[in-house]
Amino acid sequence: MMLARVAKDKAAGGIMFTLTLLSMVLVVVMGVGLYLKSAPVLAEYSLGDLLLSSSWKPMRGEFGFLPFVMGTIWVTVIAIAMAVPVSLLTAIYLTEYARPAIRKYVFPALDILAALPSVIYGVWGTLLIVPFISERLAPRFVEFSTGYTMLAGGIVLGVMILPLLVSLFIELITSVPGELREASISLGATRWQTTKKVVVRNVFPGLMAAVVLAVSRALGETIAVLMVCGNLPEIPRSIFDACYPIPALIANNYGEMLSLPRYEAALMFAALLLFIVVLLFNLISRVILYRIEKTFF
Amino acid sequence: MKLKFAEEKFFKILMIGATMTVLAFVVSIIYSILSKGWGAMSWDMIFKLPGGGFYIGKEGGFLNAIAGSLYIVGASAALGLLVSIPVVFYLNIYLKRRSRLAYVARIAYDVLFGIPSIVYGAFGFTIMIYFGLKTSLLGGIIVITLLIIPIFIRSMDEVARQLPREIIDASYSLGATRLETIRVALRQIAPGIATATLLSVGRAIGDAAGVMFTAGYTDSIPTSLSQPAATLPLAVFFQLSSPIKEVQDRAYAAALVLTIIVLLLSILGRYITNRFSKHKLK
Amino acid sequence: MKHLLQALSLPARPRTLAANGTSGKVAPLFRPDRKFNRDEQESELIVQNLNVHIKDQHILKNIHLTIPDKKITCVIGPSGCGKSTLLKTFNRLIDSIEEVRVSGKVLLNGTDIVSSGGSEIIHLRRAMGLISQKPCPLPMSIFDNIAYGCRIHGIRGRKKLRLVAQHYLEAAGLWEEVKDRLNTPATRLSIGQQQRLCLARSLAVEPRFILADEATSALDPISSKIIEELFIKLKENYSIVMVTHTLRQALRIADNVIFMYLGEVIETGPADKVFNNPEHKLTKKYLSGVFS
Repeated sequence: MMLARVAKDKAAGGIMFTLTLLSMVLVVVMGVGLYLKSAPVLAEYSLGDLLLSSSWKPMRGEFGFLPFVMGTIWVTVIAIAMAVPVSLLTAIYLTEYARPAIRKYVFPALDILAALPSVIYGVWGTLLIVPFISERLAPRFVEFSTGYTMLAGGIVLGVMILPLLVSLFIELITSVPGELREASISLGATRWQTTKKVVVRNVFPGLMAAVVLAVSRALGETIAVLMVCGNLPEIPRSIFDACYPIPALIANNYGEMLSLPRYEAALMFAALLLFIVVLLFNLISRVILYRIEKTFF
Repeated sequence: MKLKFAEEKFFKILMIGATMTVLAFVVSIIYSILSKGWGAMSWDMIFKLPGGGFYIGKEGGFLNAIAGSLYIVGASAALGLLVSIPVVFYLNIYLKRRSRLAYVARIAYDVLFGIPSIVYGAFGFTIMIYFGLKTSLLGGIIVITLLIIPIFIRSMDEVARQLPREIIDASYSLGATRLETIRVALRQIAPGIATATLLSVGRAIGDAAGVMFTAGYTDSIPTSLSQPAATLPLAVFFQLSSPIKEVQDRAYAAALVLTIIVLLLSILGRYITNRFSKHKLK
Repeated sequence: MKHLLQALSLPARPRTLAANGTSGKVAPLFRPDRKFNRDEQESELIVQNLNVHIKDQHILKNIHLTIPDKKITCVIGPSGCGKSTLLKTFNRLIDSIEEVRVSGKVLLNGTDIVSSGGSEIIHLRRAMGLISQKPCPLPMSIFDNIAYGCRIHGIRGRKKLRLVAQHYLEAAGLWEEVKDRLNTPATRLSIGQQQRLCLARSLAVEPRFILADEATSALDPISSKIIEELFIKLKENYSIVMVTHTLRQALRIADNVIFMYLGEVIETGPADKVFNNPEHKLTKKYLSGVFS
């Protein structure tokens, strides 16, 4: 009886350990799998050629990823530039200023924002943002724009990463001990000065890590961006040009890629590229965030 | 001296503005989906398969997509729970709090959680090619299972970390093994687990990029694992790209259905945490 | 393994039932009843040269102790002196602390607790009932709280379990208060009742020792008094080790006293002697309240 219980305990431990290990190893398996699949392209072209050439003609065997890399970077930059200030201000407001009654309404709204699928954001983008850009905004700056632009992608993406940023920021800001604030306030600082000099400075590395995390989320977002950013394989010259981020490239061409082996390898290389960048960004920010968590608890 | 109060005021207004902006986005998204979707909504949409000429605006509905999504997510959630519940309890009960393995594992799951679903899709696609599978219900289930496991583990781990140490110790001091203690722990955090499950399922059902490669799209409800399956997000995506207005309208209706499903899951999840915490220590 | 079983002379299931069968009445706990007088054999706890390190800190230093059978032994000393760690070593809950190293011996009837492993630990924990500072009912009903321990140790059947539950709830003086709502969640009880429930729960797996870690410090004075009185009754059948912060409590109930300071045992002996005629300067200082 007793032995059976201990044996069960041990056996269950073994099974759980195996499951844990297997699920962790998925990261490695994924990387290796994508690498093997993209090997044909990597063998034939140098990394520099792939990343720095802007000629994308799969049928002729030209795989220049520069337009897609630039598209990804630009859309992400626009999204981050818009989302970070808004979410930081919102997070500070909710933690340092707002009454509980206000939080009671804003938190569920943020939950909704976080729960909505990306295709819904895409629909919203095509319904509101795209027409707004083509009819109202773009005519002031350029002659013609369809609205399916880098800017639209950036805006949609920016709204999508808002809930992530706000919740990370809130977590960081609340981790600052209250005594620090009180000490500053009792020295005659205003609340904003306290926030700026004590709270934000204290968690600055964490804020950066949170932004990096949001960047990596933005880099991989597919459907919503694909629906609003025009998808032309050219390097965009202004925010009113169409662009073509990497995830959109993969999603749009999966159907045709099987016809050409090198085409398939090239798209898998795109996935590998995304995988590596997101992996690195995630690792860096998570390790920083873990450190912070440890120092405050 | 006055400056600092002016600064305080200025930033306060800015902050309230930012918060209002966030709220405005939420309202605008929900409103646009509701108003566009409601007009195109009918019982036929939910209860009928696409008829002949559906994609040029003739009759039918997108039951195929609703069923496909539910099949894929249902199966993936079941498989995912089989893996993630043991993992979560292994991390929180078998391993010590500061264990090296737990640390590395948590980072690994964080990373997996961060990997975009399009990469999961591409990876799933290579697996399927390797095993000679075509786009199918099975393919979709494989990818969504892989995708949902880190989501499950991370959200449940968050819940499990709140487990009071005292409860575990109390169980141990009665002579319970770790496995038996898991049962006690499970009772304590069951509502949290349920909530985490519902919210994760909500995320998985809205994912389009993962199933795009792997599940394919079809007008009928799959009757076996090897048949392709339509999904709601893809129904929205494909129909919206049609130039015909009636078809676009159906995309809005599908978007409305998807939004309602996701929001219901989210509301239900939060309700469970609030309602069923009767055994919880305060 | 058998070795420890014998050493602990643990019944495979509670004696009350083994002796009386399934249908019989459970013998009242506090009558000096032969059937329940659990063993004739003495069960002292002997600590030899115990050292505990947590990370780089030396928490317990060269502890030598004897904890006598069927007595209340109070461990006193300022906070952070290692009292709780000592208790955790006795039931091996110390295992779940990070980066801990334990050396030395803790002997229970000749079997070493420190070096035991696997199923021995389960036996050991069963033999060492723990009452923690904050009452911690398991997330289940009042009845299931008692039944849980019995079930994992192999007692089945609702009838039997009900008898056990009633017996030990009576023993903890809680039966009258809860008998009509056994199926309500245990967390609905008052905190004093919760602590008695925890006591009943510990007793239900038939321990030999009761380890109480400041068991009354979270309770109101009346509930504390009830617990103290229970302990005095229980020492007829159990050895009780109690960590306490309140000297007055130790004065009231201790038979034996252990005074610890910065991880060392400074003085130990019968309560009378330690309180009225302490040998060591530090003990005197502590008792006169110079530091606490």
